[in-house]
Amino acid sequence: MEDLARVLKHVDIKVATDSHIYLKDPDICKDCAEKPCTLFCPTGVFYWDKHLNITYEHCIECGACPFGCPFNNIIWTYPPGGYGVEYHS
Amino acid sequence: MNKKHFDCIVVGAGPAGSTAALTIARENMSVLLIERGTSPGAKKLFGGLIHRSAVDEIIPGFWERAPVERAIVTDELWLLDQTSAVKIGFTGLNYAKPPYNKFSVIRYKWDKWLADEAVRAGAFLLNNTVVRHLVTEQTGLKAKKFIGVELDNGEQVYANIIILAEGANAALTEEAGLRKPITAKNLSLHTMELYSLPAKKIEERFNVGPNEGAVIGAIGYPFAGAIGKVGIWLQKDTIALTVGALLDQIVTGKLNPYQLIIQTKKHPLINSLLAGCKLLSYGSHTIPKGGYDTLPQLFSNGIMVVGDAAGFISGRRGADLAMLSGMYAGETAAQAHAKGDYSTKVLKAYLNKIQDSFFYKDIKASKESSDYFHNYQDADFLITKTANELAYEFFHVGLENKKEKMKKMKNIALSIQPVLKTSEDLYQGVQHWGFF
Ligand SMILES: Cc1cc2nc3c(=O)[nH]c(=O)nc-3n(C[C@H](O)[C@H](O)[C@H](O)COP(=O)(O)OP(=O)(O)OC[C@H]3O[C@@H](n4cnc5c(N)ncnc54)[C@H](O)[C@@H]3O)c2cc1C
Ligand code: SF4
Ligand code: SF4
Repeated sequence: MEDLARVLKHVDIKVATDSHIYLKDPDICKDCAEKPCTLFCPTGVFYWDKHLNITYEHCIECGACPFGCPFNNIIWTYPPGGYGVEYHS
Repeated sequence: MNKKHFDCIVVGAGPAGSTAALTIARENMSVLLIERGTSPGAKKLFGGLIHRSAVDEIIPGFWERAPVERAIVTDELWLLDQTSAVKIGFTGLNYAKPPYNKFSVIRYKWDKWLADEAVRAGAFLLNNTVVRHLVTEQTGLKAKKFIGVELDNGEQVYANIIILAEGANAALTEEAGLRKPITAKNLSLHTMELYSLPAKKIEERFNVGPNEGAVIGAIGYPFAGAIGKVGIWLQKDTIALTVGALLDQIVTGKLNPYQLIIQTKKHPLINSLLAGCKLLSYGSHTIPKGGYDTLPQLFSNGIMVVGDAAGFISGRRGADLAMLSGMYAGETAAQAHAKGDYSTKVLKAYLNKIQDSFFYKDIKASKESSDYFHNYQDADFLITKTANELAYEFFHVGLENKKEKMKKMKNIALSIQPVLKTSEDLYQGVQHWGFF
């Protein structure tokens, strides 16, 4: 997703030290055939490589993943106050 | 935080929260407005439009001092096929003059301005702060009341009334037990890119005057098997392109929001509108689309829910409804304050105000809309395709006589019958696109 990397250059994200996204049970992902989170996330935060990786640093806080995961397996919280995505225009 | 107790705490400084805080501050009550971003609006990217009539009730003549971008004079709906579009539209130049109709705004500026209005009226704004939990007090065996909030540094702050203006995710509203869990069926996901283009070029390209704007809604492309919407919105020297669809259809249709943007930009008719534009920003957000059946309980002892958190979306309107609901909650808080009673007995007045509002009636009237979308995932696509085929036929200069031509067109129209069985369906379809 080279294009996405290019578009992300135009997004300001103040990255917090700790992830604000985690899984209830990583084993559920193994049995999840379609792994839709790897597609519906607008910035490709989730990708599969032996296990589900979460690049929380790219999250633009659209709010889709806690509801889009068919197994309700994603716990998404707000990044700490003042962190995360920020728009100036 | 030095001060530990307020008359009222508002969670979230979006359109709903800032209006609630403004209304309460105007009543000389103490109000704390809490925002997780570095400033109000910093988390927001949207097309989008502010509808004048509702906002005018809250801040009369707001356009004189608010950061509005362009007064919208042109509204178009495009039924897009691969290389053609049937365009339905209206341009009203009277909308370029007071009292106007709609304005394009940039949320970073609009939300900040609105929160500043609240601060000028006496509200206390706390940025960079997430409310993690609500604080309750047991008032009986089963009864409880809401008495405060817990911040992300673990601190607790208290108030007689909490107003939840936290937007579509509504995590605290759920924690409060006021709504059932949200599902993908009840949300749409909208993704957008923002581009810069000099004001003069925008005006030439979209045929509008200085300070005048246009908005184009498009359906049928690039979505097949999903009810999707494309939007093009003009600000002073920026253009927003948004692409959105119901989240469950994005999930089951294996759609990728970024690819949808890319594909939309490739459409020749959209591509030419965006020629020479420079990419400034990229964003995405959910919009509640559950409709009437998923509206939460709007109040309980010491608490009220406003704006997107309460699911107040009607067609393309959300920000102005958020503001109106914020005002109603603020007024109710003032009544409760005057009586010294923050229980449901007084807060019920908020529900009454909402039930009397035009938008509640609209939301109620469009009760079947989400069902419709789910039953006819292909409807947009098929209607659009058919309309374009009909238009090609209509405008085509051929050699057949009128009667033959009519017959041809009738056959095209009949081909969508399996999907749209009755004209009632067609009417419902047009209604639910909700563009005008
Ligand atoms: C792409 C797009 C286009 C749209 N176009 C239009 C349009 O043209 N016209 C229109 O009227 N509406 C439009 N809408 C809908 C509109 O954006 C919403 O209806 C409106 O923003 C709702 O206002 P709100 O104040 O309820 O919520 P929000 O605007 O979401 O504000 C909530 C605020 O609370 C803060 N917050 C949330 N939780 C916490 C917490 N726990 N602690 C501290 N702070 C918190 C957030 O940072 C945010 O600032 C659009 C939406 C999208 C996504
Ligand atoms: S969609 Fe949910 S269950 Fe499936 S891989 Fe992603 S997080 Fe795991
Ligand atoms: S909130 Fe949106 S951007 Fe962030 S990880 Fe979830 S789907 Fe991706």
